[in-house]
Amino acid sequence: MKSVSIIFITALLTTSGCNDSGSVEEPNEMVLHHVLSAKIKGLDPGNMRDVYSVIVASQMFEPLYQYHFLKRPYELVPLLAEDMPQISDDLLTYTIKIKKGVYFQDDPCFGSPRSFGLRSKTAGGSVPNGKGRELKAEDFVFSLKRIANIKYLSQNWSIFDNKIDGLDEFREYTKTRKSEADVDYSRQVQGLTTPDDYTLVIKLKKPWPQLCMALADTSTAPVAKEAVDYYGRDIISHPVGTGPFRLNVWRRGSYIELVRNQAFRGELYPSSGEPGDAEAGYLDDAGKPIPFADRVVWTVIEERQPAWLLFLQGKVDATVIPKDNFDEVMGGTGELTPAMKQRNIHLKTFKDPSTYWLGFNMAPVSTFAESTGVFGKNKPLRRAISYAIDREKFIELFFNNRHLVAHGLIPPVMPSYNPEIKEKGYAQYDPEKAQELLKEAEKIHGGKLPTLKITLPGTNTWYRQYGQLLKRNLSAVGLEVETEYMDRPTYLEKVNTKSIQMFTSGSSASTPDAQDFLAMFYSRYRAPGPNKFNYSNPEFDELYEKAQAMLDGPEKHRLYRKMELIVLEDCPAAFLNHRVAYVLHHDWYKNYKPHAFAYGLSKYRRIDLAKRTAYKKLLKTIK
Amino acid sequence: MSTYIIRRLLYTIPIVFGVLLLTFVLFTLVGGDISIEIAGKGATQETIDEIREEYGLNKPLFLSWDSQFVNHFKNALTFNFGRARDREPVIDKIKRGLGPSLALTVPIFFGVVIISVSLALVVAFVRGTVWDILAAVICVAGMSIPYLGFILFGQYFLAYKWGLFPVFFSPELTTAQYVALPVLIGIAAGLGRNLRFFRTVMLDEMRNDYVRTAFAKGLTTRRVLFKHVLKNAMIPIITRVVLAIPFLFLGSLLLERFFGIPGLGYLMAEAIGSRDYFVISAMTYISALLFVVFNLITDICYSLVDPRVSLE
Repeated sequence: MKSVSIIFITALLTTSGCNDSGSVEEPNEMVLHHVLSAKIKGLDPGNMRDVYSVIVASQMFEPLYQYHFLKRPYELVPLLAEDMPQISDDLLTYTIKIKKGVYFQDDPCFGSPRSFGLRSKTAGGSVPNGKGRELKAEDFVFSLKRIANIKYLSQNWSIFDNKIDGLDEFREYTKTRKSEADVDYSRQVQGLTTPDDYTLVIKLKKPWPQLCMALADTSTAPVAKEAVDYYGRDIISHPVGTGPFRLNVWRRGSYIELVRNQAFRGELYPSSGEPGDAEAGYLDDAGKPIPFADRVVWTVIEERQPAWLLFLQGKVDATVIPKDNFDEVMGGTGELTPAMKQRNIHLKTFKDPSTYWLGFNMAPVSTFAESTGVFGKNKPLRRAISYAIDREKFIELFFNNRHLVAHGLIPPVMPSYNPEIKEKGYAQYDPEKAQELLKEAEKIHGGKLPTLKITLPGTNTWYRQYGQLLKRNLSAVGLEVETEYMDRPTYLEKVNTKSIQMFTSGSSASTPDAQDFLAMFYSRYRAPGPNKFNYSNPEFDELYEKAQAMLDGPEKHRLYRKMELIVLEDCPAAFLNHRVAYVLHHDWYKNYKPHAFAYGLSKYRRIDLAKRTAYKKLLKTIK
Repeated sequence: MSTYIIRRLLYTIPIVFGVLLLTFVLFTLVGGDISIEIAGKGATQETIDEIREEYGLNKPLFLSWDSQFVNHFKNALTFNFGRARDREPVIDKIKRGLGPSLALTVPIFFGVVIISVSLALVVAFVRGTVWDILAAVICVAGMSIPYLGFILFGQYFLAYKWGLFPVFFSPELTTAQYVALPVLIGIAAGLGRNLRFFRTVMLDEMRNDYVRTAFAKGLTTRRVLFKHVLKNAMIPIITRVVLAIPFLFLGSLLLERFFGIPGLGYLMAEAIGSRDYFVISAMTYISALLFVVFNLITDICYSLVDPRVSLE
């Protein structure tokens, strides 16, 4: 038994002896308690795309621009930039003034001997003793070059591919280097210059009006070269940013805690918003200095039950409604149940900029899979499948009627959304029409249609139920259908090598511009690019190229809607649903206005400590 | 005995080679190319190629000194598992997960073994009585309830409704506080199966002539049970108990997920889901080594508890 005790005690010491335990909450301390439903992969903004990492990193890193917290339609405003950029008449040169007096957070990388040698190469000089140095325009140049460095393997390169003058050549140069650290960042890039420490000039190869939106993406936030050199590949767990918070504790896979960045320059809560914001209390803090919170905490909870129970216990400020608890919360009336109201819980819903679909591979017969090539020239078959799917039943069964039927490709929250798209009837459930179209499809095919296969990127129960529903819908109109379920990497490989027939997928916009959705149908982006449908239409391509160079406005939106109709008519996919988020929050959680595109919002949140304390008392009476 | 141990250790070489070969074949020949997923949405072919270069996926699979398999073999032997897909060193992930996993699985393991062996002795002694039948019914019921059922029930009632334990991990809690409920659930869920097994073992022993002889000679019940029956029942107990020890390293996926314990069960499940070959390979290799070592320990224990077994 002695050895047993030794093993157990060792195990306990190993865990409890860690110095990364979180701070104990003081009575008057303002702490935001959030839940992450997946682990975060890293905190290096240049190379992350998963939404959970972006949510956490966005509280510490700031890009040049941000979306206004309150105004709708969504509007870009300066963050690290002094103002909106000066754009040349030919739309090719952007001159951006950088704010003065912005400092990186204090960090050992600034006082390390290894960073001293970089002074002449990088912006400003490193200040010893770990004091964060001032942000300079050169930091943005470094961060963009880093994304271009092929040895860095950034997932964000596609944003800048073939856009900035000289940056692609820099990427070519990095191919000749042995490693990421071997790249000389002092090498000039023609399209990225800094006339002085506070001015950044970006020259484009061709007009790219979405540049400002790209510069509002956390991936373009400046990273200090000292930090990159000091931490090397471990930079993923050592974020050094300019934002309102800095990392205090990261217990990988379970807990993340940020505390106020003492070097933060300060920012004010917005003083204006959209109509109704004042009544909703979103302007109560207008003009006050932010951030309000002393700490921001995320607990990683992948299972729904514990997240829900913690929310009810008041240990989490906000949560989505778990599918299994939907009736407990909403009670089928569309309003919160009395039990929720008794707890002073509030409901917020907002339309997510996302679209999900059943896609058709329109490529000719693939060398990898002979069964492909069925859909390319058979529009009646594609449309028959679209008419055969009962989208409303799908949404009822899988999402408690919370999602919206996708009548088109562009989600309702986007400015270019066509409000009349429903009348076009592309998402109609009409099995009889589907059967008629199938007769036409058989003629084109030259006989009986083969057994079709739907590929789904998951093997769990949800995907199996999803596959069953689609199969049942298609079988009901006379199609023979098989489903195959696989892990995501295998699925991606099959999609990218055009070795599938039908596949389920979806996409969420990262900016209010619908370009990301439309790019999925541009013929030059066929798989392995974003056009997984391998769709091609010269008229669409022409409009896409024209729209790409246009500034945002009604004319561009008109073009987008025209392109959307072309896609819907050709039917490379049966668009199924748009997500609608249902979020609950406690009444002490203030300034919680949902935002579709911004993530760095913890700075606006405020906790009413008296209400939080009152909830604890309330719990004793209702348990 | 030393000759036997050396011979058994030499047997580990083909076993380890086999494990390395199997994991390699499963994830390179059967599984797809992970570089596309690592590259992310909208990645160009050149980025995908660069990732293949970075992870050595463009090298020949076999038949070269610089092949993927030879490198995989060399890295495993030197315990150089490289970096996971999120670029964190694999060994750091394992080190970090080991403590929480053991804090959970070790008490469950010893709790289950001690309680079920003790109860097995008692119910074997009172076999055929109402207490024996009651124990059998409880065991069958315990075995029939899914593990997830224990977790959902325990978390909802013991933690949320009655407030006896924390619902989930929180940094203010000590390790003992946040593993208490999962350990209790683990013991409750494992008791039925183990009690049934140990009861059968004990009953087999109780039916032997030497037990009747011992009672006839006037030995006390306690002495017969603990000195004679338990000692003679040790061979199957050791087999079950010692061979279960390597699996403690793998943690408990469900308990870790539901209670926020960042252990190795969670790590392994996530690695399988995201096809993080580097983590899976390291975990499989270490598990195989532990299994071989504990197999050997089992054999040595046989010779210690049973003089009829000699290791030659």
